[in-house]
Amino acid sequence: MKCFIDKVITHKDVTTDIKVLIPDAGLRRRMSSLIKNAVSTAVECLGGVDKIADLDAIITATGWGFLTDSERFLRNMIVNKEELLNPTPFIQSTFNTVGGQISLLKNNHCYNMTYVHRSHSFEDALLDAMMRIADSESKNVLVGAFDEATPSQQRIMERMGLFRHHNNGEGTVFAHLKSEKSENTIAELIKIEFLSESLTQKECLLKYVYSESSVLLWNKYKNYGLFPTATAFTFTDAVNLVKEGVKEVVVYNEYFGAKPTVIIVQNLL
Amino acid sequence: MEQLIKELKEHLIEELNLEDITPEDIDAEAPLFGEGLGLDSIDALEIILILEKFYGVKLSNSAEAKPIFYSVKTLAEYIMQNRKQ
Amino acid sequence: MKIVVTGLGLVSALGIGIEENIALIREEKTGIKTLPKILKTSNKLPVGELCVSNEDLHSVANINSKKHFSRTALLGILAVREAILDANLDMTKRVGLVSSTSVGGMDLSEHFFEKFIENDTSGRLRDVRMHDCAASTEAIARYCNINGYTTTISTACSSAANAIIQGAKLLKHNIVDAVIVGGSDALSAFTLNGFNSLMILDEKLCRPFDAGRSGLNLGEGAGYLVLQREKDVDTYYCQLAGWANRNDAHHQTTSSTDGDGAYLAMKEALNKAKLSPAQVNYINAHGTGTGNNDAAESAAFIRLFGKKLPPFSSTKAFTGHTLAAAGGIEAVFSVLAIKNGYLYPNLGFTTPIEDYGLKPITKFKDGVEVDCVLSNSFGFGGNCSSIVFIR
Repeated sequence: MKCFIDKVITHKDVTTDIKVLIPDAGLRRRMSSLIKNAVSTAVECLGGVDKIADLDAIITATGWGFLTDSERFLRNMIVNKEELLNPTPFIQSTFNTVGGQISLLKNNHCYNMTYVHRSHSFEDALLDAMMRIADSESKNVLVGAFDEATPSQQRIMERMGLFRHHNNGEGTVFAHLKSEKSENTIAELIKIEFLSESLTQKECLLKYVYSESSVLLWNKYKNYGLFPTATAFTFTDAVNLVKEGVKEVVVYNEYFGAKPTVIIVQNLL
Repeated sequence: MEQLIKELKEHLIEELNLEDITPEDIDAEAPLFGEGLGLDSIDALEIILILEKFYGVKLSNSAEAKPIFYSVKTLAEYIMQNRKQ
Repeated sequence: MKIVVTGLGLVSALGIGIEENIALIREEKTGIKTLPKILKTSNKLPVGELCVSNEDLHSVANINSKKHFSRTALLGILAVREAILDANLDMTKRVGLVSSTSVGGMDLSEHFFEKFIENDTSGRLRDVRMHDCAASTEAIARYCNINGYTTTISTACSSAANAIIQGAKLLKHNIVDAVIVGGSDALSAFTLNGFNSLMILDEKLCRPFDAGRSGLNLGEGAGYLVLQREKDVDTYYCQLAGWANRNDAHHQTTSSTDGDGAYLAMKEALNKAKLSPAQVNYINAHGTGTGNNDAAESAAFIRLFGKKLPPFSSTKAFTGHTLAAAGGIEAVFSVLAIKNGYLYPNLGFTTPIEDYGLKPITKFKDGVEVDCVLSNSFGFGGNCSSIVFIR
C-alpha cells in the first residue's frame, strides 16, 4: 500500500483571505476558531474551494474535538439549568463537523470519515486513505488533523500534572493525497505501521531505517506541544525534508505512552 | 415599534453572529429566510430563543412560525401582540 | 475475500445481552421509559434508558467500581465481551477493535464541569479522565484483552456502521485476523439537552414513519459484531457483503428532501454486494421518528426500490436512538434477522406519511426466509452509511 503526497500544510501556512477560502457566510458565521482554522487550512491545501469538488474522500482526525463549542454548550446547560439553550454550539461540537463543512462547501457527496483516537487519529486517517487508494475506491483524498487548546483544557491538564515537562499546544494539518504520481507530487507515503510494543531508537533504526541517508524523526511531536494530533506536524516535517532533498524520512511517534506508530515518507525516484 | 425593530435587528446580529452587517443594513420588511438574509432552520431555533429570552414570548406551535418569522417587522408585530407587560 | 459475522453482542434499554433484548422484542414491548431514572436531568422526556446504575454495571462487568468508568465504556465492555464469547474467538490471533462513540465520557465530564465552572480547582479529575472518545475504546480493549489494531470513529449517528466498514477493510488488508466492530453511547444530559435545543425530541414515545411523528427519543446502548475472513472459520451467522459511506452535503443537521446521501449510500452498498434492490428481503431503517429523517429516507427508498419496497422497519421505537451505537445495535438485529428469520415491528406506526404512503412492518415475525438485509445509519454532517448482510 502506498500513495502520493501532493501537498501538506499547517494552519500557519494559510495566507489567503478566509472569505475567499470559505465563501459561504452562512457556514462561516457559525464556525468556532478551530473549525475556521481547520476548514481554511483544508481549502488552502487543495488550492481553492473549487478543488473540493474533485475529492473522492475526506478523512479527518482529532483527539479532543471541538472543545470550545462543547464547553459553551455545557456551560449554558449548567448555568441556565437546562433551559433556553442555543443549539449552535451543540451541533458544532460533533466530531465530524469539519469533514461535513468541507463537503457542504461544494456539495460533494463523497466518502467522509472522522477518527477520534488520541495520538494516532491522524495515522488512522492516513491508513484509511491508503486502503481506499489501494482498493481503487479513491484517487483524490483530503486528510486532516486538528486539535484546539482552551483555558479549561489547559487548567485540567495542569491539574493532572501533564505540563511539568511539556507545553500545551494546538494546531491543524491537512494533506492532499493521490493514487497517481503527477507533476505536483512532492513525496510518496510508503508505509504506516501501528506497533504493539515500544521500540528503542536503536531497534527502530535497525528495523525501519535502512540507509545512512535516511533521517529518523524520533518523537518530535513534543516540539509542538502536548496535544493528540501533534503527530501530524511531524508528518509535515517529514514531507518538507523530502521536498528539500532527503531520500527517506522515518517518523516514529510514541505519544505519551500510547502505542507507537511508524510512518515512512520517501522521495520520488 | 421603531425601537423594538432596532433592538430585534441587534439581537439577530448578535445571536446569529451575522458578519459585517449593521442594523441599518437589514431591511425590516425583507424576508429573513430563503432569500433576504438567507437564514436557515438552525437560525429559526435561535430566533425562537430570542423571543423567549428577551421578550418572554413563547411560540406555542412551531407550525405557525412561518408567517411570524417572515421578516423583522412580522416578528416585532408578534412580540407587540404577545409580550408580557 | 468473503467477510463473515461470527459473534454478536448487545446492550440496550431492553436489557443486557441478546436474549433479554429479543425476549422483549418478541412481545413487542418497548425499552423506552417515560422518564429518565438514572440520568440526572430536569428534562421530562422519554428515553431509552437501561435501568441499571453505573455501580451495578461495574458489578455486572466485573470491574472494581473504584475504577469509576464512564457509562459508555461499561456498556461497551459488556457488549464486546458477549460478542467475543459468542464468536468463541481465539484472542491470541491479531484481534482488532474499531469502536465508535459520540458521547464518550461526557456522562462523567458534565458532573466535573458543574463544579469546575464555579472554581477551577474543584471537580474530581477522575470524572474527566475518560472524557475523550478513545478512552472508552481503550477501556474496552483492555478489559476484553484485545491487543491488535484499535481505533475509534465518531461521525455522529452513522458511527458504528462506519466502524463496520473500517473493520472490513482491515481484514481485507490483513492488518487483523479478526475485528470487533460497533459502537457505544450512554445517555448524558449534554446530548439530551442538545437534541432538545434542536426541538427534535418527541415528548411521547416516538413513531417512526408515522404521519403524526414528532421527533425522536434518545437511547443508550452498545452493539458489536465480530468479523472474520470466511476461510478462517467453520461457522458464521452470515456474510458482510456490502457497505458504503456517502455524504448528503445538504445541511449540518437536516437531510435533503430527496434523501441524496441515503440513496447514494444504499445504492453503492448494494452495488458492492453485487445485488439488485429487488434482492433485499428486509431493511432496518434509520427511522428516527423526526419529520425530516423519515421523509428523506422514504424518498430515498422510493428512488431506489420504486414500487417494490421490501419489508422495512425502524427498531428505534424499541431502543430509542442510540446515536453512535445505533449502527452496531441495528447490525446485530439485522444479522439475527437472517439467522433466525426475524422481521421486527416498527412500534408506534399507525398512518403512513402522506407524500410517500410507505407502511413498515407492524408485527414481529419469526421463521421468515430472510436472505439479505440492508441496514441504514445516517448522522449529522450529512454522514450516510448503509450495510448489506447476506446469508
